[in-house]
Amino acid sequence: MPKLNIDGTDYEFENGTPLIEACGQVGIEIPRFCYHERLSIAGNCRMCLIEVVGGPPKPQASCAMTVNDLRPGKDNAPPQIKTNSPMVQNARHGVMEFLLINHPLDCPICDQGGECDLQDQAMGYGIDSSRFIENKRAVEEKFLGPLVKTVMTRCIQCTRCVRFMTEVAGVEEMGAISRGEDMEIVGTIEKGLTSELSANIIDLCPVGALTSKPTAFHARSWEFRKTESIDVNDALGANIRVDARGNEVVRVLPRVNDAINEEWISDKTRYVVDGLKTQRLDKPYIRENGKLRPGSWDEALKLVAAKLKAAGGGRTGAIAGDLAGVEEMFALKDLFARLGSTNVDCRQDGARLDPSLGRASYLFSSGIAAIEDADALLIIGSNPRLEAPVLNARVRKRWLRGGFTVSVILENADLTYPVQYLGANAEGLAAAAVQAFAGKQKPMMIIGGSALARADGAAILAAAAKVALTAGVVKDGWNGFNVLHTAASRVGGLDIGFVPGAGGRDVAAMLNGGVDVLYLLGADEIDLSRTGKAFVVYQGTHGDAGAHRADVILPGAAYTEKFATYVNTEGRPQMTSRAVFPPGDAKEDWAILRALSAEAGQTLPYDNLSELRAALYVKFPHLAALGTVAAHGSLDALAHLGGAINREPLRATIADFYLTNPIARASRTMADCSRARLGAVEPAHATVQRLPTYQSVGSTG
Amino acid sequence: MSLFSEVFVWWGGNTWGTRWYTWRHGKRVGEDSQGNVYYIQRKGIGPLGKPRRWVVYKSYAESSQIPPEWHGWMHHTVDTLPTDETYHPRPWQKPHRANMTGTPQAYRPAGSILASGKRAASDSDYEPWQPK
Repeated sequence: MPKLNIDGTDYEFENGTPLIEACGQVGIEIPRFCYHERLSIAGNCRMCLIEVVGGPPKPQASCAMTVNDLRPGKDNAPPQIKTNSPMVQNARHGVMEFLLINHPLDCPICDQGGECDLQDQAMGYGIDSSRFIENKRAVEEKFLGPLVKTVMTRCIQCTRCVRFMTEVAGVEEMGAISRGEDMEIVGTIEKGLTSELSANIIDLCPVGALTSKPTAFHARSWEFRKTESIDVNDALGANIRVDARGNEVVRVLPRVNDAINEEWISDKTRYVVDGLKTQRLDKPYIRENGKLRPGSWDEALKLVAAKLKAAGGGRTGAIAGDLAGVEEMFALKDLFARLGSTNVDCRQDGARLDPSLGRASYLFSSGIAAIEDADALLIIGSNPRLEAPVLNARVRKRWLRGGFTVSVILENADLTYPVQYLGANAEGLAAAAVQAFAGKQKPMMIIGGSALARADGAAILAAAAKVALTAGVVKDGWNGFNVLHTAASRVGGLDIGFVPGAGGRDVAAMLNGGVDVLYLLGADEIDLSRTGKAFVVYQGTHGDAGAHRADVILPGAAYTEKFATYVNTEGRPQMTSRAVFPPGDAKEDWAILRALSAEAGQTLPYDNLSELRAALYVKFPHLAALGTVAAHGSLDALAHLGGAINREPLRATIADFYLTNPIARASRTMADCSRARLGAVEPAHATVQRLPTYQSVGSTG
Repeated sequence: MSLFSEVFVWWGGNTWGTRWYTWRHGKRVGEDSQGNVYYIQRKGIGPLGKPRRWVVYKSYAESSQIPPEWHGWMHHTVDTLPTDETYHPRPWQKPHRANMTGTPQAYRPAGSILASGKRAASDSDYEPWQPK
């Protein structure tokens, strides 16, 4: 543990701590542009210069030097650095002046204004005037796809974006060309960026060179109400901050959570929110003579209640969609139980997961952060790059460190790291696992939706569990048996047993005429043409497949509009917060079900969300411990299930990463991304900003 | 203005004090397009060291209804009476209009619901789904 004297005080630090981090740990902030703790060290902005006492006679970059790199002083005294000496202050002034030489003075029209590192640090560490009178450099704009807008003249060449795309996103699509003053950051292909994490470079950019294209010139950073919440576009439960102005969600930013998303979020998480403003269900609708007409809450609820009572318990069923919160699923299950129905299911894709086999059978048991400890990975029926891009970045991070092998059973897709492709057939998964994990200390398995949502899904899962127990995937102190979900609601639904009870019908049976009244809680990704004559109630947020088929529509609240619990794929319960209110007459989902229960004569015994949660936590106490993962038992029951795996190859489940849920399908930005990925270079309505060509005034006369 | 309002209110046209002062000291010099009548002190000087100039409004006493040509004369910017000048307004010049603040004709900026009775589109608006 090396000792270090910073500004006259002795401290002790971990080995290998960069000086800039060491100073940060003791509360001394060093200004920086290029340094980022999750990226490699570039040392090219020179803003973090400090003075090493007795060292070289020039200031040193504190990001590129660790606490171990300094020599002790006389009598073995700890090495001494100064962070606020005249030399350091002069160095900062000089660096800032050089940076501002070519930085345009367009803060008033720059989207980064107000949250700009250069602005802040020029205030904090710069000088008050400029000696520069020459012309500034101008740089051509680059096309980086429909999400990232460039104003490259503002670029200070910190190369954070280049390092992020290369290291974290794993697509080498950005780089720097030329040298010195002519250095430019470029996208190396003309089709924009092809990563699902590309928009993180907007957050990383310390200046306004890379800004958000969909919300360009739309809002200022200080106008937002900031709400800390949870993302529901995949099952990771990435921690996000929802920035709203008025009743509009303008943008979503990541929050740091090292256990889940570090500080990255996927492009879908970030840019799906414009879908919250389109195709919204804002009033109840009732189908009359084959046409939907607007109705009042009162008549809609009365009609649904009458239909539920008339059909009788056994002939009613409920399906929860991918975005449903735990609270509303709990209320819905409770209501149906009181009506005498056990036909409830939260597995709308038909995944063969059975919560009665224990939580270990359907969780990402090791936890997401534990990917960094694993030394071998077998992915069965999952494309993590599309199903959970942030998790995939974590796998890539592990792979970059070396000593890590990845094998895949599904498709030979580019996962941003090399994989050993084992074909699409799941039959030989036991042999594949034994081979892949031979001699490994911490092997890990990821089983995805492509393997589970099949007739033999349970058999594949059981076979995987069996080999997991024998091949060292599950042992004392290590559980690498992981199920990767794609639906944010899935684990919560399985936790509260939102699956058919004894004699109950599952999704397939309900769709095949098993019920007379079908209640859809935001379920759109099912084949509704098979519902036949059933009376379909759709409670949800967007006019998607479910709403088109529905006989009664009850408008609910989206994830930014309600306080709801979501359990992520690790089994970690987290809660969203309301950033804005639901549109029009739409209500929070649990409240709709509570009102419906009163109409149906089976009043649910909770009048507010706290009472509902109290009832929920009595039955499922682990949901009360937000942010922590409860112990999840053993795999033995699952391993003993047995069953035959058929020869049919696994098929990928996600056809289009950008269009996986009703909110995304309503989003223009997501549609642009989808088109761009399919090869349209410049999306139809998101015009690329280009500077006008100036002509001299005299030449026109 | 009626005799009643001349005696009891001060905000419209003459008051009886003004009428008395104007009868004693004033010389009528002209009338503008709005019907306001302008006077100048017959003899002696006012507080500015020059003969005093004043206006008796036709109706409501609102100084912004004085048109620009009389404004100049009233404020001693010019001594030539507008009636003695041969000034022809440019075709693009609009007729003078008093300050309408506080009246129903007041200026309402774009987006004001007082102007159109309808709210302008807002960023918080959403597109509701319409069944086919």
